[in-house]
Amino acid sequence: MDLYVAAFGFGLVGMSVIAIAAVGFTMQFGITNMINLAYGEVMISSAYVAYYVNKAGVTIWVGMIAGALFGAVFSFLLNRFVYAPFQRKGTSHIGMVIVSLAVSLMIANLLLPIVGYYSVSYQDTTGGLLRAGGIVLTTNQIAIIGVAVVLMLLIHGLLRYTRLGKAMRATAANPTLARNCGIPTQRVIDAVWLITGALCGLAGVVAAMNSDSFAISNGAGFLITALAAAVLGGAGQPYGAMIGAVIIGLVTELSAAAWAPEYKEVVAFGILVLVMVLRPQGLLAKRGALAAAG
Amino acid sequence: MKTFHARMRFGSAACSLAVLMLAACGGGSSGGGLGSGDLLVGVLAPFSGADAGLGPAYYAACLAAAPAINNNGGVGGRQVKCQQFDTRGEPADAAPAASAMVAGNSNLMAVVGCTSDEASAVAPIVDKAHIPMFCMTGQSEFNKTNLKYFHRLVPADVYDAFAMVGSALYGPNHAPYKNAALVFGDDIGSQAFVDPATKAFTKLGGKIAINQPIKLGASSYRTEVAAMLKSNPDVILTEALGSAGTYLKEVKTQNGGKMIPFIGTSATIDPTWFQQVRDAIGIDDLLKYYAGVDLGYTFSGPAYSEFLTNLNAAASTFKDAPKYKQRGSTLHLYDGIIMTALAMVATNSADPKVYNSKIIDIANGTSSATVVNTYKDGVAALKAGKSIRFVGAGGENNFDQYNNSQSGYILVGYDKDGNEVTVGHLTPDQTSKLIAAGG
Repeated sequence: MDLYVAAFGFGLVGMSVIAIAAVGFTMQFGITNMINLAYGEVMISSAYVAYYVNKAGVTIWVGMIAGALFGAVFSFLLNRFVYAPFQRKGTSHIGMVIVSLAVSLMIANLLLPIVGYYSVSYQDTTGGLLRAGGIVLTTNQIAIIGVAVVLMLLIHGLLRYTRLGKAMRATAANPTLARNCGIPTQRVIDAVWLITGALCGLAGVVAAMNSDSFAISNGAGFLITALAAAVLGGAGQPYGAMIGAVIIGLVTELSAAAWAPEYKEVVAFGILVLVMVLRPQGLLAKRGALAAAG
Repeated sequence: MKTFHARMRFGSAACSLAVLMLAACGGGSSGGGLGSGDLLVGVLAPFSGADAGLGPAYYAACLAAAPAINNNGGVGGRQVKCQQFDTRGEPADAAPAASAMVAGNSNLMAVVGCTSDEASAVAPIVDKAHIPMFCMTGQSEFNKTNLKYFHRLVPADVYDAFAMVGSALYGPNHAPYKNAALVFGDDIGSQAFVDPATKAFTKLGGKIAINQPIKLGASSYRTEVAAMLKSNPDVILTEALGSAGTYLKEVKTQNGGKMIPFIGTSATIDPTWFQQVRDAIGIDDLLKYYAGVDLGYTFSGPAYSEFLTNLNAAASTFKDAPKYKQRGSTLHLYDGIIMTALAMVATNSADPKVYNSKIIDIANGTSSATVVNTYKDGVAALKAGKSIRFVGAGGENNFDQYNNSQSGYILVGYDKDGNEVTVGHLTPDQTSKLIAAGG
C-alpha cells in the first residue's frame, strides 16, 4: 500500500509538469490553429538556457525565469518568421504540421553541436526530503507542484477575467468575426505565442528538473506527453489539458507501482486510445474556456 | 486499391533490386590490386536516441585509426575516411541505414559499431554485402554465428554479466553482496545481462531482490526507485545507458541522500556515462559506490601510444575524441580497422572476399609470426615477406571459429577525472565458478 501512496505523490509531480506543458500546447493550438510539433524542442532548448544560467552559478529558479523568457521570445519569433508567412500563403493544416515537424528537426540538429549529445543535470535542484503519510517528496518537487497550481490559476484568471483573455477566446472561436468586432487579432495572436511560449519554456525547465538528468533527445518525449494530455482533454481546451495531465501523470506512476514499470507509458497511452475511441473529441471538447459559446 | 498495392509491390521490388545491385557493386572490387580512390570505414551505430553516447566512441576509433594508416602510405596509397551512419539504436531505423550505407558506398573497406541495439538487424545486411564488420554486441546469438564477415572483439554479454556478479561476490573492499537489484534498460542490449546474472548470482548463494527493467528515456523513475528500495538490496547491478543519471539521482534522493553500491557493465566505462552520473549524484558518491567491470587493458605500449596520439589529434575533427582514451570499444575498433587495412595489404586486394579471412590470420598470428603493434610496422614486416600477428591498443586477440575474440575481465572504478582505475582481478577459480554457475 505504501508504494501506491508514494506513487500517488510522484504522480502529483508528474501531472504538474505535464499540465504546464499541455496547457501551453493546447492554447497555442486552440487560438492560433497551429499544431506546433516543435513545441518539445523549444522546451528542451529552454531547459538548456536554464542549464547554462544555472551553470554560471545562478539558482535554478532564476534559470527557470530565463528559460521562460527564452521560450516566449523564441516561440514568438518562430511564429512571426516561419509559421505566419506559411499561414498567410494559405498552407493547409497538414502542410503546417509538416512545417512544424521540419522546424523541430532543425532545432534539434542545430542544438546538437552546441550542447552535445550527453546528459546534463542542474545543480542543487533536489532540496530536502519531506515525508507525509507515505508520500515522499523533495522540497523542490513540492515547489514544482506549487508553480503548476499558481500557473493554472493565472491561466484561468487570464482567460476568464481579463480583456486579453476574452479577446483570445473570441479569436479562437471565430477570428474573422473577432477582427470585424474590432479585436486586434494579430496582436492577440502575438500575445498568445508569447504567453504559450513562456509556458513552454517554463515547462521545459520544470521537466528537466523533474528528470534530474536530461539530454537533447528528451525533447521528443516532452512533446509526446504534452500532446497526449492535450488530446485526451480535448484539443484546444486548457481545462481539458489540465484533466488530461492529471490522468496521464497519475496513471503513469500508479501503473508503474501496480505492474511492470517498463510498460507504464503503454498503460497511460492505452487509456488515451480508449478515450479517443469512446469520445474522439476528447474529454472536454466544446466545454472549455476556448470553446465557442453555446 | 488493388492497383495501388500492385504499384507498391512493384516499387518495393524495384527498390530492393536496386539496393541489391548497388550492394553487389559496393561489395566487390574485382580482386587483384588495391585499386585507387579513398576507402571508407562506415561507423554504423546510434548517434541519436537513448544510446546516442555509443556512436561517438566508435567514430573516435575510426578517426584515430585513419591517420595511423594514412600517414604511413595508406592502403596501397588509398586514404581511409570515416563516415557516420546513424541507426538511432533501433532495428527499424538501423536496417535501412545499413542498406543505404552498403548501397551508396562502393569503397567500404569495413564497418564498425553495430551494437546490441541493432546488430541482429544490420549484421546480415553487411554480411550479404561482403563487408568485414566489427560489432560491439554481446548478444548470445552471435556466439556461434555463421556470418563470415562478422567479427567480435569483445566477449559475449554473458561474460560481462558473470564479471559483474564476480564483482558483487568477490570484489575488493566489501563483504560479498547477497541481495541484488537488477536494474537494466528495456532495450535488447541491456536485457541480455539479466538472465546470466540471475543464474550466476543465485546459484552462488545470492538473492535477486528485484529484477526491474526500466524504460530508457523516461522522464522520471520515482515509483521504480521506490519499489526497488522497498526490496532492500545491498547492491544494484545495472546498465541503463542514457537514464543512469536520472535513476541513480532518484536512488540517492529517496534513500535520504545515501547511495547504494552499484555495479555497472563494461559499457559504463565511458566518458559520457561518467559525466552524466557524476553530475547527477556527485563525484564523491560515484567514486565511493560505483564498481565496474572491463576487459584487461594496459593502456600502455607502442600500439596504445600511437592510438592516443592520433586520438588527441582527432580533436580538431571531433572535439570529444580524446575523452575515449580508455574506452574499451574505442581501442578494439581502432585495432579492427588497422587489422583490416593490414589484411588488405597482405592480400594485395581491395576485394573483401579476398582479404576478409586474412583479418583473423593477422589477429591470431601463428607461432612463427612477427608481432607488430602498429600499421607502419605491420606493412614493413609484410613487405619483408614475414607473417605477422597484430597486437594493438586493446591487446591480443584470439578469434575462435565463429569470429569471436575472448579475453579476461578486471574489476575497475573511476578516479576523479574519469580515468579507469583497476581495483581487482577475478582469479581463474572464481571465473570458473561464475561460468559454471551461469551456465
